[in-house]
Amino acid sequence: MSNASPDRDGGARERLQRWLPKLVLSPSCVLVLFFVYGFIAWTSYISFSDSGMMPDYTWVGLHQWSRLWTSWTWGIALHNIWVFGLLYIVSCIVLGLILAILLDQRIRAEGVLRTIYLYPMALSFIVTGTAWQWFLNPGLGLEKTMHDLGWQSFSFNWLIDSNMAIYTVVIAAVWQATGFVMAMFLAGLRGIDGEMIKAAQIDGAPAWKIYARIIIPQLRPVFLSAVVVLAHLAIKSFDLIVAMTGGGPGNATAVPATFMYSYAFSRNEMGIAAASAVFMLAVIAALIIPYLYSELREPRS
Amino acid sequence: MSFLHINNVHKRFGETHVLKGVDIAIEQGDFLVLVGPSGCGKSTLLNMIAGLDSISEGELLLDGRCINDVHPSRRDIAMVFQSYALYPSMTVAGNIGFGLEMRKVPRKERREAVDRVAKLLQIENLLDRKPGQLSGGQRQRVAMGRALVRDPQLFLFDEPLSNLDAKLRVDMRSEIKQLHQRLKTTIVYVTHDQVEAMTLATRIAVMRVGELQQLGTPHEVYDDPNNLFVAGFMGSPSMNLVKARIVEHDGVLVAQVATGDTTLALPIVRDREALSDWCGRDVILGLRPEAITDPASANHRDGNIHEAELPVDLIEPTGADLYVVTTLGDASVNARMRPGTPLRPGERTRFAFDVSRMVVFDPESERRIRDEQVVDSALEETA
Repeated sequence: MSNASPDRDGGARERLQRWLPKLVLSPSCVLVLFFVYGFIAWTSYISFSDSGMMPDYTWVGLHQWSRLWTSWTWGIALHNIWVFGLLYIVSCIVLGLILAILLDQRIRAEGVLRTIYLYPMALSFIVTGTAWQWFLNPGLGLEKTMHDLGWQSFSFNWLIDSNMAIYTVVIAAVWQATGFVMAMFLAGLRGIDGEMIKAAQIDGAPAWKIYARIIIPQLRPVFLSAVVVLAHLAIKSFDLIVAMTGGGPGNATAVPATFMYSYAFSRNEMGIAAASAVFMLAVIAALIIPYLYSELREPRS
Repeated sequence: MSFLHINNVHKRFGETHVLKGVDIAIEQGDFLVLVGPSGCGKSTLLNMIAGLDSISEGELLLDGRCINDVHPSRRDIAMVFQSYALYPSMTVAGNIGFGLEMRKVPRKERREAVDRVAKLLQIENLLDRKPGQLSGGQRQRVAMGRALVRDPQLFLFDEPLSNLDAKLRVDMRSEIKQLHQRLKTTIVYVTHDQVEAMTLATRIAVMRVGELQQLGTPHEVYDDPNNLFVAGFMGSPSMNLVKARIVEHDGVLVAQVATGDTTLALPIVRDREALSDWCGRDVILGLRPEAITDPASANHRDGNIHEAELPVDLIEPTGADLYVVTTLGDASVNARMRPGTPLRPGERTRFAFDVSRMVVFDPESERRIRDEQVVDSALEETA
């Protein structure tokens, strides 16, 4: 007996040690499973149901999906997200790369400048949207200031111009994300072997050619990361647009996320909203899953 | 006028004085190796020759032309880097041809030049690959190809072999040497490996903390070192350094080493004139391991062999040689003997000292005590 008891004690402790991590992690696992994957499944189901204002579990097949794709507003939302996403991604990358290259010239106040460029990222989209709405509002911001300063003919009313409003959203979003993209490129630039640049100098390449031929081609992984991060931010973009334009004027700045929100909560068309939500999820998944797969697999090889 | 003349060159980074007035001159076709421990300024000097670092003071002349302020690409130099610094996004052919492309050489001519160099370095089958697909040795060849293709006046090598494994390093070393002999190019080569320096160089510059310690042929630097640092740095196993006292004994100048119960008296044959002023003073003796052997292996021809019986502390067979460790004065001393010499630790055996190869240093200044004119016969290698 006296011999067996420490053994049993040790066995119990060992068992506890083996089970403790699982015990500690299981509540959050259950919560994630339920609230994330559970609701994804639920939303997917709703998109095939006859739901209106309230969930209704009658199966109607692809009915809601066909209504979504024949909807005129959904067409506008898709067109807007294309314009917004493309301009947003391209501008952020071009500006971010230029800023990173300029900051990489061993300038003195680099730390301060880097922080300044990164700060917009610390703001929430709501704050960015509201601030830019004030700034671009013809009655309050830039245009009024110019008028007050005496430049009466100055006009900048894109925010209330239904043809141009989407570009104001692009401006605000680019302002917010450029610093982040810059930081990504800066990290990439710092990782480049200095001897390679020396070799290129001896080879007689001028600075712009060193960038174009040697450095930028090596930043390909950074480009990929930037595109993936920005693309999913673009598709998710909701709060910025709500704060800045509310999707308007009219439907001029409606995007899939605002479409989904208005159909789910103000137009009482939960089925269509669910279908649009599932569609957005599918697009983001199509971007993120291959990216994560390649990123997570790399260290092993 | 020498081909490359480094004239009293200084380098300062803010307060730190990295190079403190280096003077080196080499002729066309020379293979100059800058060697020294890390932090001695050898790479900085090379970067200054390349034009990648500015010169704080002094003058750099290449073929009679001052190149202090000439852009790296217009110095007519090529450099091989430690990390190879190949452009990963270009093919091997693109890498080798990049310098020509930047110099606006027509495509056809470029292709021919690349092919010629690829053939020389036996990398023709790799021309379409990317650097990422190459092994270390292949990358090394491509890096050399990139330098060779431009046919510059001066080649610079910055520790090019340090990233290779031991066997490949030896192979590449002899290839570089063959290349130099075939192409008769002028090379400045930086390394911290004194074996590389000895095997490759026609001129060695030994450096320490920004100062040139000695410039000479490998033979001079090895057998006739300027100071204790050079003596200790060159050669592996390194030179034995033993405390001794110079005395005159029956009209003969000897170096006395008190060792255990006896006193060893090694007659002075080299630098006798200078050492005659050192009678009764303490010095440091330098003896290469190969200058201490078993009596049968010693070169008795010149009558410069002095024998003594000493204890065997340790034996270290390397295959090619047998290193025997004994005690001389208060120092452990390495002797190189013929492999298979029957010895056991704890025994006493006769050691043969080749006193013609003995060098003597001032313990204070660490400088060599030497005659103005070096007697050539004393430097003849033992067979």
